[in-house]
Amino acid sequence: MTASPPPPGTLRQATRADALATEMPVGRTRGWWGMVFLIATEATVFALLLGSYFYLRFQSGRHWPPPGIEKPELTKAIIMTILLLPSSLPVVWAERGIRRGQPWRLRLGLSLTLIQGLLFLSVQASEYATNLKKFTITTDVYGSLFYATTGFHGFHVTIGLVMVAWLLAASLRGSFGARHHDRVTIVALYWHFVDIVWAFIFMSLYLSPRL
Amino acid sequence: MDPTETSPRARRVGGGLLWFAALGGALSWTVHLFVAWATDELACASGHTTLAGFPVKGVVTIGVVLPALVAAAALATAWLAWRRTSAAAGEDDPRMGRAALLAVVGLAANTLFLAIIIAGGVSLLVFSACQR
Amino acid sequence: MTVQTEPDQRRPEVAELEHAWHERPSLRTWLSTVDHKRIGRRYMVTAGVFFAIAGVDAIIMRTQLSRPNNGLVTPEEFNQLFTMHGTAMIFLFATPMFFGFGNFLVPLMVGARDMAFPRLNAFGYWVFLGAGSVMFISQFAGAAPDGGWFAYVPLTDRPYSPGRNLDVYALGLLFLGVSTTIGAINFIVTALKMRAPGMSLNRVPLFVWAMVGTSFMVVFALPALNLANAMLFLDRRFGTHFFDPTHGGNSLLWQHLFWVFGHPDVYIIVMPALGIVSSVLPGFCRRGVAAYPLMVLALVTIAIISFGVWVHHMFATGLPFLSYSFFSAASTLITIPSGIQIFAWLATMLRGRIIAGVPFLFAVGFIVNFVLGGFTGVMFAMTVFDQQVTDSYFVVAHFHYVLFGGAVFPLLAGVYYWLPKFTGRMFHNGLGKWAFWLVFIGFNTTFFPMHVSGLLGMPRRVYTYPTGLGWDPWNLLATIGAYVLALGLILVATGVVQAIRRGPAAPDDPWGADTLEWATSSPPRPYNFAVIPQVHSLHPVWDERSREAMATGDVLAGHRAVLTSELDGDREGPVEMPESSLLPFAAALGLLFVVLGLLWGQYWLAVLAAFAVFITLARWLWPPHRTPEEAGVAREGRAP
Repeated sequence: MTASPPPPGTLRQATRADALATEMPVGRTRGWWGMVFLIATEATVFALLLGSYFYLRFQSGRHWPPPGIEKPELTKAIIMTILLLPSSLPVVWAERGIRRGQPWRLRLGLSLTLIQGLLFLSVQASEYATNLKKFTITTDVYGSLFYATTGFHGFHVTIGLVMVAWLLAASLRGSFGARHHDRVTIVALYWHFVDIVWAFIFMSLYLSPRL
Repeated sequence: MDPTETSPRARRVGGGLLWFAALGGALSWTVHLFVAWATDELACASGHTTLAGFPVKGVVTIGVVLPALVAAAALATAWLAWRRTSAAAGEDDPRMGRAALLAVVGLAANTLFLAIIIAGGVSLLVFSACQR
Repeated sequence: MTVQTEPDQRRPEVAELEHAWHERPSLRTWLSTVDHKRIGRRYMVTAGVFFAIAGVDAIIMRTQLSRPNNGLVTPEEFNQLFTMHGTAMIFLFATPMFFGFGNFLVPLMVGARDMAFPRLNAFGYWVFLGAGSVMFISQFAGAAPDGGWFAYVPLTDRPYSPGRNLDVYALGLLFLGVSTTIGAINFIVTALKMRAPGMSLNRVPLFVWAMVGTSFMVVFALPALNLANAMLFLDRRFGTHFFDPTHGGNSLLWQHLFWVFGHPDVYIIVMPALGIVSSVLPGFCRRGVAAYPLMVLALVTIAIISFGVWVHHMFATGLPFLSYSFFSAASTLITIPSGIQIFAWLATMLRGRIIAGVPFLFAVGFIVNFVLGGFTGVMFAMTVFDQQVTDSYFVVAHFHYVLFGGAVFPLLAGVYYWLPKFTGRMFHNGLGKWAFWLVFIGFNTTFFPMHVSGLLGMPRRVYTYPTGLGWDPWNLLATIGAYVLALGLILVATGVVQAIRRGPAAPDDPWGADTLEWATSSPPRPYNFAVIPQVHSLHPVWDERSREAMATGDVLAGHRAVLTSELDGDREGPVEMPESSLLPFAAALGLLFVVLGLLWGQYWLAVLAAFAVFITLARWLWPPHRTPEEAGVAREGRAP
């Protein structure tokens, strides 16, 4: 044992032909890949939307938001962030549960996410109700960008919630288990995406005008 | 531990290295284009020649030099990967043949992307930041 | 070359397979089919019809421009003609036509039994048909888009463009975008997961690489167009201000978004065509395409660099020089991968034994015209030159050399090359050669003079021009060329119809080519391959071991296909494939009503139809009922 030379370092091992030829990614399902590329294309839409936001913002002169509109209200946005960002955790927990063949964890986790998502949407609705008294989508380009971006994201949250509710209904009927959970994984991916996008929107639309 | 055996961790790193060898140049060019163009155009459009105290031209220079270095690193990795995998590839070995293909594609692609970064970057020697 | 690659049709397991995949001809199966070959043929026929209509638009324009001060059409009609000609050729003909080729060929070339998502595939076709119909019907209603195919704001925004015309543009392209995006995702996943065992990435045919590269560009480029169109629609209909400088918007935003999409789109159109050329040449040069790794490199790098050149469409808009130079570098060096491909094809021909069949002629015609188009393209990459000739007929000449020369010539090569596989019939060779020469001469007579009229200062998109500017002879020449070209294209269509009706039955592998589609019968059986091929090289049909594996292997029974691993093509196991279904058709119909509701301003209809689409999708994706044992529910994990 002591006579044998020490094993080579990770980097040295990793640059062997054998390690370089490691196949990755590997063993994903068709549905998983389909959702990954759907997310890729949707993420591009959001990236371009935020890019357009900054493009128009930096060309609009000294004041942002333009004179006449206050800086975005943070309280409700922070509540929304606190509601939405952790809502991925029950999904992760539910997905791990169904991988072990525990449908009750799937049902419970999805229900929690559903509640968090619905609460997010209702806070967003009340935020819109206050904001619409001050400026609308037609006031100026700031209004257009604000409502288009948050509205488009809200639409995605709604779609995500429909998917979660649909999954919950299917799980109550007993279609999922350790051997069949492809749809759970796919919906989970989508929900994480909707979740992460909100972080970017929060930073761009709410935090950055206050910096 | 048997020194000829490759640890699972090394396998993951190796697989990642091959992807870096294949796409590193492309990624660094993407970052370069995005940083250099967006900084220059947005700063100049809003009438500044400095960004938070730094001169725009300096930021753009960093946006050229750093990606160029990463692309060069990817090129070196691709060269190494190509040497190793093409030597190991046999007659009917899909896995090693595939790895050798990715490495040789990376070798050429990284050269090309490095050339693009440099060709665009030399204009820094000629133009000032917001010259129109 | 007679190759026995298919197992005997009379074997009982093959008869059983026939039964499992059989579709009884009826209206119901016509609407519900998910067979990639039928869907692929539909894409091609529909796109062909759209090509003909958009071609008639072009002929009317050329007739109007044949002499100065002509009054065949009004300026308003001319605006609709050139807008619909461009929009239709780009969006409704080129990409769907190649998606049709891809639909038919990609599963065959990778040795699969269908696409990764067969039902989504059917859905994509129906959406394409709906979007195309909406846009063309608007032309007959006199409300076709009329702001140019790239629809620059502020011209296309309110109040400068009232009427429904540009709403049709924005909504029609958004609707079509659904089809294109899911088609692209389907190609990528098919290429990742459905390849025959043993087909590692270094054994993937170049046409499949080209379709995958195209699809990646679609996934990342199309969102820019969709977003721009959504903003345009919001601006026009709901009074937002994205492109309105009086309220803080910016009309250059449209140009940026449009060309972030638009330049990759040039390659989205041309790349499948490059793949077709790489497929046609081996059969007619009796050797594989030279420098396979470099060809893969060219496709991959073009797909990436195409995203970094969009500003070269805007060299005349007054941005900082430094910004230009980054894009100028990419625009200039993207010619290297294109050049690599040209030289690899020339090397293939030089070192091969050439058989000058009709597909080969079109492939050579492509190389000649594409090089000319690429040459003027390099001229445009120089900012100073670009600023002199932008928006002149020189540009029109350039992009027709790139798009007609670069995409339609390979397309016609592909039509003749795969016609035996698509239809099971051979075409008339003499008719094909006549068609080639008429198309080639007609094309060059039409578009070469436009270089000259452009340099003489003739701007594009004018409905007429005064005499005495030196433009008259060049325009007349171009018009004569257009009629010759049309005659050639009619001969192509005649050749196809003639082959289907009276052509002799085609052998399975008429060209002695190398890829797996030639290992199936002509036309292929509904299950494509009774034995799932085991691939041992880049040219499986030329390779003894792969052929033998196909002839002697076990038949994969049932309505199933085989999944393999992403990079190396290791066999993962068989999966059940979806049966035919009416749901894709229903979902596409619902989406059509969403679009019509938005277009007519009947928002209740749009909302109602959107609900219908959701319910259809929920039904579509509903998982099958399983017992806890089947699903794998842990006994101790039961809910209390």
